[in-house]
Amino acid sequence: MMRRALVLAALALLAAAPLVLPQFQVTLLNYIGLASIVTLGLVLLTGIGGLISFGQAAFVGVGAYATAVLTTKVGMSPWLTLPAGLAVTLVVSLFLGFITLRLSGHYLPLGTIAWGIAIYFVFGNLDFLGKYSGLAGIPPLTVLGWRLGDERAFYYLIWAITLLALLVTRNLLDSRNGRAIRALRNRGMMAENFGVDTARLKIIIFVYAALLAAVSGWLYAHLLRFVSPQPFGINDSIDYQFMAVIGGATELWGAVIGAALLTLLKAWLRDLLPRLMEQSGNFEIIVFGLLVIVMLHRTRDGLVPYFARLIPTPAQRLPKKVPPLPPRTQPKRDESLLQLKGVSKSFGALAAVKSLSFDMRSGEILGLIGPNGAGKSTVFNLMTGVLAADAGEICFRGKRVDNLPGRDIARCGLARTYQHVHLVPSMSVLDNAAIGAHLRGREGVLSASLRLDRAEEARLRQEAACRLDWVGLGAHLFEAAGTLPLGSQRMVEIARALCADPLLLLLDEPAAGLRYLEKQTLAKLLFSLRERGVSILLVEHDMEFVMGLVDRIVVMNFGEKLAEGSPREIQSSPEVIEAYLGSVE
Amino acid sequence: MYRKLLLAVALSVGLAGTAAAQEVTIGLTMGTTGPGASLGINYRNAFDLMPKTIGGYPVKFIILEDKTNATEAAKNGRELITQDKVDAFMGSVAVPSTTQLALIANELKTPLMALSPVALPPSKLEWTFIVPQPTTLMMSAVVDHMKAHGVKTIGYIGFSDSWGDIVYKSMQELCGPAGIKIVTDERYARADTSVTGQVLKIIAVNPDAVVVGGSGTGDALPQISLVEHGYKKQIYHNHGTVNREFIKVGGKDVEGAIAPTGPLMVAEDLPDNNPIKKVALNFDRRYEKKFGAGTRNAFAGYSYDGFLLLNAAVPIAAKTAKPGTPAFRSALRDALENVKNVVGTHGIYNMSPTNHNGVDKRARVLVQVQNGEWRLIK
Amino acid sequence: MNLAIALWLSQDAVTNGAIYALIALALVVVFTVTRVIFVPQGEFISYAALSLATLQSGKVPGTIYVLIGGGIIVAVLDGLAALRRRSLKSLPESTLLNIALPLAIAAAARWSASRPDDLLLQVVVTIAIVMPLGPMLYRLAFQPLANASVLVLLVIAVAAHYVLTGLGLVFFGGEGLRARMFPALQFQVGVLTISGQSIGVIVTALVLIVLLALVFGRTTYGKALRATAINRVGARLVGISSEFSGRLSFALAALIGAVSGILVAPITTIYYDTGFMISLKGFVGAIIGGMTSYPLAALGSLAVGFLESYSSFWASAFKESIVFTLIIPVLLWRSLATRRSEEEDDS
Repeated sequence: MMRRALVLAALALLAAAPLVLPQFQVTLLNYIGLASIVTLGLVLLTGIGGLISFGQAAFVGVGAYATAVLTTKVGMSPWLTLPAGLAVTLVVSLFLGFITLRLSGHYLPLGTIAWGIAIYFVFGNLDFLGKYSGLAGIPPLTVLGWRLGDERAFYYLIWAITLLALLVTRNLLDSRNGRAIRALRNRGMMAENFGVDTARLKIIIFVYAALLAAVSGWLYAHLLRFVSPQPFGINDSIDYQFMAVIGGATELWGAVIGAALLTLLKAWLRDLLPRLMEQSGNFEIIVFGLLVIVMLHRTRDGLVPYFARLIPTPAQRLPKKVPPLPPRTQPKRDESLLQLKGVSKSFGALAAVKSLSFDMRSGEILGLIGPNGAGKSTVFNLMTGVLAADAGEICFRGKRVDNLPGRDIARCGLARTYQHVHLVPSMSVLDNAAIGAHLRGREGVLSASLRLDRAEEARLRQEAACRLDWVGLGAHLFEAAGTLPLGSQRMVEIARALCADPLLLLLDEPAAGLRYLEKQTLAKLLFSLRERGVSILLVEHDMEFVMGLVDRIVVMNFGEKLAEGSPREIQSSPEVIEAYLGSVE
Repeated sequence: MYRKLLLAVALSVGLAGTAAAQEVTIGLTMGTTGPGASLGINYRNAFDLMPKTIGGYPVKFIILEDKTNATEAAKNGRELITQDKVDAFMGSVAVPSTTQLALIANELKTPLMALSPVALPPSKLEWTFIVPQPTTLMMSAVVDHMKAHGVKTIGYIGFSDSWGDIVYKSMQELCGPAGIKIVTDERYARADTSVTGQVLKIIAVNPDAVVVGGSGTGDALPQISLVEHGYKKQIYHNHGTVNREFIKVGGKDVEGAIAPTGPLMVAEDLPDNNPIKKVALNFDRRYEKKFGAGTRNAFAGYSYDGFLLLNAAVPIAAKTAKPGTPAFRSALRDALENVKNVVGTHGIYNMSPTNHNGVDKRARVLVQVQNGEWRLIK
Repeated sequence: MNLAIALWLSQDAVTNGAIYALIALALVVVFTVTRVIFVPQGEFISYAALSLATLQSGKVPGTIYVLIGGGIIVAVLDGLAALRRRSLKSLPESTLLNIALPLAIAAAARWSASRPDDLLLQVVVTIAIVMPLGPMLYRLAFQPLANASVLVLLVIAVAAHYVLTGLGLVFFGGEGLRARMFPALQFQVGVLTISGQSIGVIVTALVLIVLLALVFGRTTYGKALRATAINRVGARLVGISSEFSGRLSFALAALIGAVSGILVAPITTIYYDTGFMISLKGFVGAIIGGMTSYPLAALGSLAVGFLESYSSFWASAFKESIVFTLIIPVLLWRSLATRRSEEEDDS
């Protein structure tokens, strides 16, 4: 309620601003709008997707120069140059994205700096772009015969586009792919394990951010009616990144707040400093840098997350009942489900898994146990495509999967949890679980942006809520996952895996951190899953828990299979006892 | 906030006397940081020496920083006109910034004294008056010198920015008719640590002379490098080059360098009957008193000449309208368009509707580094 | 292009490459210990070069005020922190280090400015001015955020770069300076004239590569320093505080910057803002070395030097475009060669 009131009040203020504010304040607001559009792309790309770009200003330049050239040299209408500019940007950003997004870690920011600088010098050296002196004579925009020659008129166009961009981006994030995008940063491997094509998503958000920048460039060119290379260089790219970080790179509104804050701060310094000292120009950049440092010292996540805490989050409710997602047909009981044949994996000199073979039948609960460092989690990683095996074969229902990427293995019906919890901490419990159902939806980025995915989205969310209810978290759906106790986070992981409606569930130490009663609940849950035909492969340390639950056990030690059999056989095996208690010497 | 407070104070105080209402407000947007800083600081410094009155009216200067960035310059231009209601404004250091200002001057109908060249056709310069000499006028002095010394081919090396472009373009325009061939167009950045590659390319072609299109100390590097690699022919510079730091950095390697400049750089060497001498010498002395011996430079002179032009036009405009009104700005523009024989530090300005610069050959001299000093070539 | 030109270009490439290598080494030191991508490294170079040139012209360089001002702020912050901890034990040391030392260096600078021909004194004073700026910068800008994400640290680094560049402009003005050549050592090798200065740059770079690789690769202490970046708690357990190692790495970076600045000051014109582009190119070199390997970083920097030198011969207008475009495939190759697991990038 309060949120809605705030948004409405902000909109009313925005609409009234040019009517009441002095003209120069309107000018500033225009610049804030232009910067917000670019920064919004960066928030999505960097803050949420975790991809650092120092080349956004170059895309602004592409948009600006495209319309500048087409209107002045070809005489095209500005409304046609917008799609033309977007098309050029699409091609350029696809090309750059395909190359640079393969870069990992700190290679990526450097890659973006590299082409950012390269593009800047191309602007400055091409004759038809007016070289360093720029291109003048860009016509103003006309809307339905109304000439937007005036800053106040232009204001409404800029802010309409800014708000539209905010809305579309919010829609995008609040969707099946949006959840996957939020998992890209730090949780890409998990997303792959649930069927997300992370490479494709990265390109999508990269292109999306570039297109936003190009729109801003198009507006820029028609607002200033002159373009030159300088505003599209590395310094301006850095400024956009500043705005994103200071506003709060994880929140969409952070883009507007950051853009507003930096633009106003600069304007204010420019007015204030000359009154304080004689050679003011030099000090502006110093004071600006200092303020940025101090601001980040105080609020390292940016301003919006800092203040967002003060505004109560609205009570969220799930929509009314919708038809559930169709379940997968489980295989018949006691079919061959999973086969490992001589699988090996070593890390340098360390052999983590040595020629491991075992079979699993459908409907079974199989325990995989062994001392620390026995290679159990490595086996999971090999089975889910996180790691590639050095030798051997892994077959799932007769199909070889060890050479498939994780997302294709997920399609076959494998879902897993992780030894170290892999949740997106800032996202709600419900959204985290819903990532598991990624493959059960098919709506794309475009339909999500236009809000055409609501029917499917409701079913996905209902599925997630239902699974969370199963694991006993029905009361915590809208809390941030990172705020739950570790035991509950493990349960969220299980709910997420269940959302995938798997044939085979891989659980990596699900009982770790659970209290006695919680373990009882978990055991009950697993039994009931088996009743439904789901097969479960379980890595666990808690022997009591394992022995009471599983049908069969595989024991690993130093990467090799030590023993295999029923819980009773294993408990009496002398090798196993020795491996666990150590040889008495 | 601050501004409002100030306004309130100004109002309460200002109501007492009507003189404040007659105040003329002049804006400046200048890049004293960023890539143009070395020149921008000089332009800006001149404002510390500006008189308290203009054309007999009290004058207020409002100075804003644009970081040599066209977008910032545009923002400043709009702020000066729409918020500070300036009667005229000046700026800026780089061609794109000044071009942007000229567009705004046209849109918001306020006279602009452009302090650097502008990349616009004359039809768009209705409200813009360009203070610096046209680049072709300055470089024609160089080309004349080349012709006189039998130069047939030249190598060009200039900044990779708008200044480098402009100097190259004017050389192209001038060299064709003069029968001189430009054989290289090399570019470098002011902050480059080496220009060896470019210099070797020039030496490989071995032109009769080299023209450097950079500014200030940035012009020293190509010459030092050329000399180091054994190039012994004449090296020419441009009117952005001439200052003392250039010689300080270049040392004996820049001995003999030739450049065009405005008369104020060598005011002492001018003949006494040159009317510019008095104005230039007076300005040089005041400037060097404030900023130190040898600090005189062409850029501060442009700022001052901009002021002198306004100084001549303000009384005429004030006859028809009051400062601070659109009518005054329009009258000021008309007055500027018709000023005659305004003696500045760089030249004698005669404006007309078709010529918004108005200087002639008296606004250029050729100077040469001789014994570590810029001296007039007579 | 004939052989002579190729030789000249290569000589130029090696000298420039060595300068970039010096930057790259400092960047790697700082990054391995603090995870900061240290954009302002170039400012140390311009500060040192400009301070040296100013001393030679008989004036006291403005960097001394940066040093004194920075020292006072550090001392005040340390004092406040001590008050909050209710333990004033560290105060005398902090005062000595942050107030007395800068004042002493200022006095030395004044003395040096009065002896414009005493080259050795100028060099010592320049290093004394620039080196303490490193730890001060760490204390003021980075220490309070030591465990923030790489992106936040990078933004802080850029902000610090703005502040230092701005101060440089205030104290040295917009025009460039050039220091006097050191006693003119020149060799004639075939067509090449080689200056002692460029040999100095190359030798310094080589010596530093070997030293740093040894210290960080072989000694326990160096390994422990590296460990602080990966595991702060663990490093503390073995007795190295991340604060100390941070200051140490910044001091090292500032020292390298000061030495490089002194070496390049007579070779080229240095401006208050020269540092940024050089830093970027050094950064490219460091990245080619994966931000961890000293010899590879140096080789990468050398490659940048060659690329730059030859492209400035063939198409100088597009030099930066060529250098930065050709870097991308190299980055791609490096990135694929050192594909890391996600956990390591997790920050």
